[in-house]
Amino acid sequence: MSEFAIELSGVEKKYKFFTLDKIDLKVPEGQIMGLIGPNGAGKSTTIRILMGLVHQDRGEVEVLGRQMPSEQVAAKWDIGFASEDMRLYDLLTIGWHMDFIRSIFPEWDDAYAQMLLKRFGLREEQKIKGLSHGQRVKMTLLLILARRPKLLVLDEPTTGLDPVARHEILRELTAAMTDEGRTVLFSSHNTQDVEQISDQITFIDRGRIIDSMDKELYLDRWRRLRLEVPLGIRLPALPGIIEVKQEGRLAVATANAFVPDLANAYENAGARIQRIENMTLEEIFVANVEHSREEEVNA
Amino acid sequence: MRDSVVGHLILKDWRLNRPLIVLSVLGGLIALVIVSWGGQTPFVLGGVWFFMALILMGHMLPFGIINERKRQNLPFLMSLPISSIQYTISKLISTLGLFLIPWLMLLISAGVLIEVRHVIPLGWIPMSLILAILPFIGFVLITAAALVGEKEGWGVAANVVCSSSYWFVWYAIARIPSVAAGFNSPFPLWNSAVRNVLACEFGTIVMILALTFFFQSRKKDFI
Repeated sequence: MSEFAIELSGVEKKYKFFTLDKIDLKVPEGQIMGLIGPNGAGKSTTIRILMGLVHQDRGEVEVLGRQMPSEQVAAKWDIGFASEDMRLYDLLTIGWHMDFIRSIFPEWDDAYAQMLLKRFGLREEQKIKGLSHGQRVKMTLLLILARRPKLLVLDEPTTGLDPVARHEILRELTAAMTDEGRTVLFSSHNTQDVEQISDQITFIDRGRIIDSMDKELYLDRWRRLRLEVPLGIRLPALPGIIEVKQEGRLAVATANAFVPDLANAYENAGARIQRIENMTLEEIFVANVEHSREEEVNA
Repeated sequence: MRDSVVGHLILKDWRLNRPLIVLSVLGGLIALVIVSWGGQTPFVLGGVWFFMALILMGHMLPFGIINERKRQNLPFLMSLPISSIQYTISKLISTLGLFLIPWLMLLISAGVLIEVRHVIPLGWIPMSLILAILPFIGFVLITAAALVGEKEGWGVAANVVCSSSYWFVWYAIARIPSVAAGFNSPFPLWNSAVRNVLACEFGTIVMILALTFFFQSRKKDFI
């Protein structure tokens, strides 16, 4: 079997007003991959394709060593999938849903389910219609975690949650990762959530993957340089600098491949370095998207 | 051991739809009791009520499928180890079973009533069967629209078309001379006209089911 839990290569899907364009994505086994993109970027379409729910027009999709969509039944035994638009049966109880999933999956871990039930403050006799949004998300997560799947695919699981519920969900996801070899693909437009739990990060915008790498590498390579530029000095175009904004004598340069030599190059050109700042994942995401869109316009 | 999920989905649908089936069977049986009183008024009232029970059951059951999509339960079901075709098979088996078992029970009860109580001539049996199969066709058509059409509107449209067609189709069939000829017969007349109408009805059902599988298997986006 491949060392990747998820492999998408050259995946395309055309809709009337949206195209998923040559998606290449690899998620190594045992890693948490955060898929970040603005609304309408193609996160859900990508996830639906890898779950076999939407068929790609072109390209190959392999999940846990199974070709999708043709081998989706075999693959889905080991995938726990939750999406923002997923609802349980309103008129039925938590206990009914647990019995239903337990009857299907022999791997169901009842002790773990009961522990999660307690930790999430839920009771088996509660009907789904009486649950808050946060409790419904927790319930869905309980149903998939207690199955002990090898791969968790979560499409915007924290959207619309209050900070406490979000924290609880993220804590359980992190705890679930202590199971050796479990992989998580987690989509969100909330970079804070992704930053908190992911090992790998992929940015997607307008149906294209614009960047994908290790989270630490992202945080390490992206920097903001605040410069003072004396009159008459022109800043040179440097490799690794994706944007320079200048107002009067103050300039801000954004680097996506920062090395100390970049600062030296600006100083050699006559500018003075005021500060070199680390960037948050949100700032990196926004800068990345803006850069990618600018490149698209210029192309 | 990992069993097929299809069986679990069928059982789930049976559990969820039990109240509707019990109510429909009760409604149908009450209608037959009214027919059994004898006389023209109970016959007309009970007969209409009986067919209304069949129609109601046939039209309500497919709304379970529509509601699963509308209430966003479908992503939950499709996250289970099933394909879209297996989902279609589970829905057809469960809803067909849910419809056919009470439908047959009511039909047999009606047959026994006609045979034992002689409330209407036995010659009415072929026509009653023809009439009773029409709600079955309506049920299959609405189920197909609910499965293939991805919007509630398709199910509602199929519902409206069926509801407004039954009376015209019944009237048209009753006007076929060789079918109408058997009404007052002391025994059922299974002549070629009756057989042809029944063959057309069953052919329509098979065709709708085949088309449902054809369209479902061609779908590229299932949610």
